[in-house]
Amino acid sequence: MLEVRNLHAGYGRMPVLRDVSFSLKPGEILLIGGENGAGKSTLMRTIGGFITPTSGSITLDGKSLIGEAPEDIVRLGLRLVLDGHRIFPEMSVYDNIRLGAVMRGKERGSFEAAVKAIFEVFPILEEKRRDYARDLSGGQQQMLALAQAFVAQPKVLLCDEPSMGLAQLLMPTIMNFLKVWAESGTAVVIVEQHLDAALTVSHRAIIMERGQVTIECPAGDLQNRLAQRVSA
Amino acid sequence: MSYELAIILVRGLGLGSIFALLAMSFNVVHSSSGILNFAQGNFLVLGGFAAAFLLASPPDMAMWWIMLPVATIIVAALLSFHGWITLLPLRNSTEQDSWMISTMAVSIMIGAGLLITQGPFAQTVQSAFASFRVMGTRTPAPYALCFVLMIAWFLWLKWFHARTLTGLAISAISQDMEAARAAGLRVRRLQLLAFTISGLVVGSTGFVAAPVLSISADSGFRYVLNGFIAAVVGGMGSNTGAVIAGPLLGIIAMVATYQVGGEYQNFVSLLILVLILMFRPQGLFGRTAARRV
Amino acid sequence: MAQAQAITMTKPSGNLTSDKLQFWLGLLIIFGTVLIPDFMGNQYYTHTFQLVNLYIGVAILQNILFVDAGQVAFGMGAIFGLGAYVAGIATGMHGLSYEWGIVLGTLAATLGGVLFALPALRVQHFHLGFVTLAAAMVFPEMLVAMNKYTNGINGIPMPTSALTQRLPIGLAPLSLVIAAFSGLMLVLHVRMRRTKLGRRMMVAAASPEAAQSLGTSPGAMRSIAFILVSALTGLAGTLYPPIVGFVSPSAFNLDLSILFFFAVVVGGRGQPLGPILGVYILYLVPNVLLVQFVNFRLMAYGAVALAAMLAFPDGIIGSLEIWRRKRQLRPEDDGALRVDRIIANAETEFTDKPLAPDAERPVLVEVHDGRKSFGNVRAIDGVNLTVRQGEIHGLVGANGSGKTSLLNVLSGLSRLDSGSLSVKGRDITRMAPHRIARLGLGRTFQAPRIFPALSIWGNLEIGIDGRYDKAEEALPVRVQALKEALSDRSAEYLPHGQRRIVEVMRVVLKEADILMLDEPAAGLSPEERAEFSHLLRVLSRQMGKTIILVEHDLDLVWGVADKITVLDFGRVVASGDPAEVATMKEVHHMFVGKKHA
Repeated sequence: MLEVRNLHAGYGRMPVLRDVSFSLKPGEILLIGGENGAGKSTLMRTIGGFITPTSGSITLDGKSLIGEAPEDIVRLGLRLVLDGHRIFPEMSVYDNIRLGAVMRGKERGSFEAAVKAIFEVFPILEEKRRDYARDLSGGQQQMLALAQAFVAQPKVLLCDEPSMGLAQLLMPTIMNFLKVWAESGTAVVIVEQHLDAALTVSHRAIIMERGQVTIECPAGDLQNRLAQRVSA
Repeated sequence: MSYELAIILVRGLGLGSIFALLAMSFNVVHSSSGILNFAQGNFLVLGGFAAAFLLASPPDMAMWWIMLPVATIIVAALLSFHGWITLLPLRNSTEQDSWMISTMAVSIMIGAGLLITQGPFAQTVQSAFASFRVMGTRTPAPYALCFVLMIAWFLWLKWFHARTLTGLAISAISQDMEAARAAGLRVRRLQLLAFTISGLVVGSTGFVAAPVLSISADSGFRYVLNGFIAAVVGGMGSNTGAVIAGPLLGIIAMVATYQVGGEYQNFVSLLILVLILMFRPQGLFGRTAARRV
Repeated sequence: MAQAQAITMTKPSGNLTSDKLQFWLGLLIIFGTVLIPDFMGNQYYTHTFQLVNLYIGVAILQNILFVDAGQVAFGMGAIFGLGAYVAGIATGMHGLSYEWGIVLGTLAATLGGVLFALPALRVQHFHLGFVTLAAAMVFPEMLVAMNKYTNGINGIPMPTSALTQRLPIGLAPLSLVIAAFSGLMLVLHVRMRRTKLGRRMMVAAASPEAAQSLGTSPGAMRSIAFILVSALTGLAGTLYPPIVGFVSPSAFNLDLSILFFFAVVVGGRGQPLGPILGVYILYLVPNVLLVQFVNFRLMAYGAVALAAMLAFPDGIIGSLEIWRRKRQLRPEDDGALRVDRIIANAETEFTDKPLAPDAERPVLVEVHDGRKSFGNVRAIDGVNLTVRQGEIHGLVGANGSGKTSLLNVLSGLSRLDSGSLSVKGRDITRMAPHRIARLGLGRTFQAPRIFPALSIWGNLEIGIDGRYDKAEEALPVRVQALKEALSDRSAEYLPHGQRRIVEVMRVVLKEADILMLDEPAAGLSPEERAEFSHLLRVLSRQMGKTIILVEHDLDLVWGVADKITVLDFGRVVASGDPAEVATMKEVHHMFVGKKHA
């Protein structure tokens, strides 16, 4: 579904991503881990259209995403949830969710179904639907950011550091939500530094170092692979 | 005395409505892009020029109603083009202040263009409506019309921002542009639309207010100044603030003109601006408008 | 030391900025264009270039004010006009000597600067721009309105000045004075960035909170900037009447103010050569080449500014500079540069000292019944906190439990509604943040405050600038080595983890003995976290710093902290030794399948 091939990207002449390739099937959850500065966020932003790659290809269902603006990439079915739970603070929770579905046009019915599903998973959002989003806690804002992406019903979801600034207690709720979401056929990429919580729901894992993919394996094998490297 | 007071009040209210309309037109652009259009006053004056050209003297009532949307759309189209130019360099600049220069430059160019084609003298436009009497004094109708126009635009904008998805999307951009793009909002298109809406507001104002407006090459900035003060006093981004602060400012300006003379009117406006920014930088209704220290 | 050596060896041939080249070129242009026409005896060009170069001097001052001090002031033409007019009134209307005119004009402009600085204490950005622009619009109106004192619209003719009589060397003293003035302004611009004051100003402009945490009052910096720039702009203004021989209100209208600002932006913000190029393009070209189309001058002026803005959004020189920097970017500028390793090398002299028992260590920070609400949210709700000398005190809790609010209150960035705070026994409940910082408190921020305009060393050096009330001393050898290794490294591409280290080191260089770190490990990799824990221990046990650590990573906190305070909904729910706190019921829900006891 999503194919990334030999991707190089960076700022100016400074390379950040070097020859990154991976692919993603419907319903699959891919964990991308790695040190800070390894290029994970740059990779997400490049796929999302915020950074233009210097070479390589990104295709979604065979259609190239390179050169497309971020807002148009969303329309093609790829939704990036930025790190740091970026929602619109000065409007209500419900309006935030409404805006998530903006580019889907007039499919009223499916939007309402999606909202209902979201409120079942995160009842706190329904309870606070009329509150300003700025009054939510960090964790609730992350839920809202995911809700906003959910109602867009993308084919591919990219999730950059969903745990950033979040209490550890909330992690399982969020990860389970992503798991259930993926089961409906959506391909999900989770970028995380805290591997443990995300590993429990992932199918495959990639570790990036210095802009390159150094490990790619089934999620279950990752801890072993990492341990091997430490002992080696 | 009460008769003088009535003149001051009614005319101040009318003049203040123009300030409030300008403030609202500032707000719609500002909230979508953080841009404060320095050329807004020139577009108001262009609305006045449009009235001068499109209307006979004395104007015919039917023509007035036909030409109102024509003038409004012309100004809105020009302002959209101006908006397009202003937004152009914002894509890849490291500093996001280029708009201060481009809108100021356009303001100078419009002023210069009017000076070259129209000369330095003010145009006069006759009112299509009969003047009305307040406490026995004849008051030009546009003062009342401006007040009505202010209320109408206020209600429409309120509905637009709260109820329509497009209006909400424009607010979203002002809050987090990157997140808005990630959510699939077509940012550039929405910002352009905001410029167009501000053009509709300011163009209709220029046309309606034409008989009481100073329609000359160099009056643009005076209106920008007063519109900005109304926006700041009301609280940047708050249209409710604007419709209260505008008339208030208009009345004070009228009192100042009456008491100390017209040449001090801008000085008094400046004084109000400084006082508000010193003691209540967020304005009357603003939450966090002015970047406070 | 070996590490530092290695870094020095990879020293690049290029420069971080081209300030030096621009400076010499600028000096050449200023002196050349003023002195050559005068020497050749061409009256028209002498006069034109005297004015052009005077405007260049003012535009350079505008550059300092706008970029280095971060103040958006559109109305400098009014300050210039104030200097010119007061000098004109003094000499032309009251028969005072020109020397008196200079003194009075400069004084008046300085006073005008004070008036501009007042709103700047409250608002910034385009709000400030608008106020000053409005002032510039009102200024000529007032000159006309107060015609009793100013001769109104007729203006004031000036007696011929001895300054315009050519000397035996073939030059008028006025030319020499103007060249010297604008040249000196260029020197001031380039030199100021290398001074303590210049750096403090820049930090205050870029991040007022960071400035406050380094003991600098942003308000004071703004006031100094406005007053300094206004005084010098006024001085330039007093040179205007002898050039033109006449002052009138229309010479100082809005266009002049806009010229100064446009010149900076069109030429290139912060670039020494920027204002020179800007004045040439915006003033010289329309006024000399288009002199026969006088009506089109204003149009050309706006069109040139707009075209330059569209073609070069960062200004002409600025765009060139960005292009040059991109070309010079080196592969080591990416994540490979490890500031922490270089720093770790510099800190090996100390030995570990064990922490003394509580009773022997004095209380350094104390919060007593602190309360603070935002709207209806109680961020801090009756908090008591005691931090003793030398300990690492972990502050943990869920999101919104009040940790960062507490840090903000402690550093003075926000005020308690009730309750009291003390640091080293002094009550700081109502103290200004920069004063608190001077008591020896240092803090870092969740988003590291790194200034890309400075080199990596510059980013550390502003910590040294934060040593207020201390005599200047020579840098220790190790710090000197840091300076050599990092002076020509751009901070722009420093990776996140390294940014955190730089920020912590900055506070150490400030010689703060109480460090407050706000989520310092956020965004660090596991390896970087381990190294960071080690750094914390070095800071505490070897250098004797007291550390207040706000952190989400509980493993890290339990690994290094001597005391832990747990906050929940703005209240302290547990406090004490790590082992003790871990067993408390109130904190169990925070751990997910991990053992800390």
